[in-house]
Amino acid sequence: MSLLGGGILKGMAVTLRNFVGSYFDRDRLTTNDYAWRAGDSLPQHAGEYPKEEGEQLRDTTTVSQYSRNFPMLLHDEGEAMDTIRCVACQICERECPPQCIYIEKSTEKMERGGNKAQFYPAKFDIDVSVCMSCQICVEVCPFDAIVMNSQFELSTSNRFGGLLLRRDDLLKSNGYYHKIHPEEAAARDRRMAEEKAAKEAKKKAAAEAARKKAEEKAKAEAEADDKKQEDTQ
Amino acid sequence: MSPDLVRDILIATVPLMVIFPTLFAFTTWLERKALARIQNRIGPNKVGVPLTRYGGRFSLFGLGQPLADGIKMLFKENIVPRDADRLFHLLAPILALIPAMLVLCFLPIEFPWTESLLPVQAFLLDGAVIFFFAITGLNTLAIFMAGWASRNKYSLLGGMRAIAQMVSYEIPLVLSAVVVVMMVGSLNAAEIANAQAGWNWFVFTPWGLAAFVIFFIASLAETNRSPFDLPEAESEIIAGYFTEYSGFKFALFFLGEYIAMFAISGLAVTLFLGGGAGPGIATLPWLSAMWFIAKIFALIAVMIWLRGTLPRLRVDQLMGFAWKFLLPLSILNILVAGFAHFIPQENIVSKVAVWVVSLGILYMAAKGLNQLNRPNVRPRDYKYAE
Repeated sequence: MSLLGGGILKGMAVTLRNFVGSYFDRDRLTTNDYAWRAGDSLPQHAGEYPKEEGEQLRDTTTVSQYSRNFPMLLHDEGEAMDTIRCVACQICERECPPQCIYIEKSTEKMERGGNKAQFYPAKFDIDVSVCMSCQICVEVCPFDAIVMNSQFELSTSNRFGGLLLRRDDLLKSNGYYHKIHPEEAAARDRRMAEEKAAKEAKKKAAAEAARKKAEEKAKAEAEADDKKQEDTQ
Repeated sequence: MSPDLVRDILIATVPLMVIFPTLFAFTTWLERKALARIQNRIGPNKVGVPLTRYGGRFSLFGLGQPLADGIKMLFKENIVPRDADRLFHLLAPILALIPAMLVLCFLPIEFPWTESLLPVQAFLLDGAVIFFFAITGLNTLAIFMAGWASRNKYSLLGGMRAIAQMVSYEIPLVLSAVVVVMMVGSLNAAEIANAQAGWNWFVFTPWGLAAFVIFFIASLAETNRSPFDLPEAESEIIAGYFTEYSGFKFALFFLGEYIAMFAISGLAVTLFLGGGAGPGIATLPWLSAMWFIAKIFALIAVMIWLRGTLPRLRVDQLMGFAWKFLLPLSILNILVAGFAHFIPQENIVSKVAVWVVSLGILYMAAKGLNQLNRPNVRPRDYKYAE
């Protein structure tokens, strides 16, 4: 026979344990990552919001690597616009549930990194006052060009223009991505390398097959020629 | 009215109007802090001494937060829905605050400055307990008024829930207080407190303990505190009856709610926890008021703790709990109190026997009621699936 109201007492014991524990065990605190540390080290333990003026950084790298809020555009090493990954395919624009992405395709194609020449976004705007941080754009992007940023200090004095991020605000290097989301970025790079290798292998195999086919054809033709010659003789 | 009487009335009442709203501000901070810690957060810790930069160096655990909230509330826009009943929309928050403030006068807190003012010691009123319940009943009206005047479905739903809940829980609340009135033979709050002088608190008797628990649960429901916060359930009906309130009117509701919490905790302290009784009051009489307020805060702390622990009840559970569990139990408790009163308790054996028998009866009854109220749950048969 269980004690009447025992469940309530049990629950109260749990909350009491959390209440007391949060004063002694800093690791319990879940919201303590909102802090700035000198150097590049990400804070692992409790800190508090920057108290001194000038301690806040625009590109905040101080939150947990699992935090995300709004999308950003990636470019590879080099000049941002020369190595932008986005090819203005507009899939993200169409998939975005709140329709906060606006893309304008360039008129001429641009070559980057030895790949086939592609279009690039002449305009790429994200209205972060509309964005709901769902990450669907990241999931649908076939070029790994858009990923989530964790920058959170986005307050502006202008709620219309200030919250409309332009292409150049959104462009971040892959190195920055590695800095804020090391695990995710490493996994993504690994996957991209594998895909590239698989693609090249496939290409090679296809080329090989084509070469073989051509050889066989040549052989068959040669044989046919021989036969023809024999026939005529 | 003679000028002296006016002066005495002011001296007796104005401090109440100052002390309790100040405590309210402190309590909101305390509640936010405690709830945060329960959820392993830090809670407000930035706002410190006003007008210092960032509040950083003198943040004082965020004690300046209530002040900042108050200033924000005062300067916010007062929005009234276009189709709202403007007069009642305005009156509702005022009516919510007045009864809560009014009943504070009936609490037998012995402030040092009221000693010389015997004629206006409002708590000498002979029907104080009855008056308390009568006045706090007005609160229901204020809440329904707010719900009705807002002309908003959610507000109206909140108001209707509030009426059902507050009317239902008033009954166990009063019935559990009746036990104490029976034993003391008086409705006078000061006399009830005096009857518990020393350590003879009623909570240390079997019937008093049961009544205190019932009273505390019912008072949670009366003040719309979690887990009985259905009238203002954020996740269900936005904010219930104060969905359409903003700025200072909202602040008034908020203040009224917390003052009502103080008042009903004060009544619980008077009825069960010995009023201002406590160590050291014989030598330092002003400690009595301190003890009283400390006991109120102990109860408020438990309320906050419960809020951080329990999920909200469903509407039918809420009603069932009042009518099918608390009401029979509080009636039974009256009988148990009579039993405990008439059994002679000369030696320790008979005292223990009374304790065991009384609590045994009450516990078995509670257990039985719990069994009876168990919902008839059977495996669900799916008509269309599979």
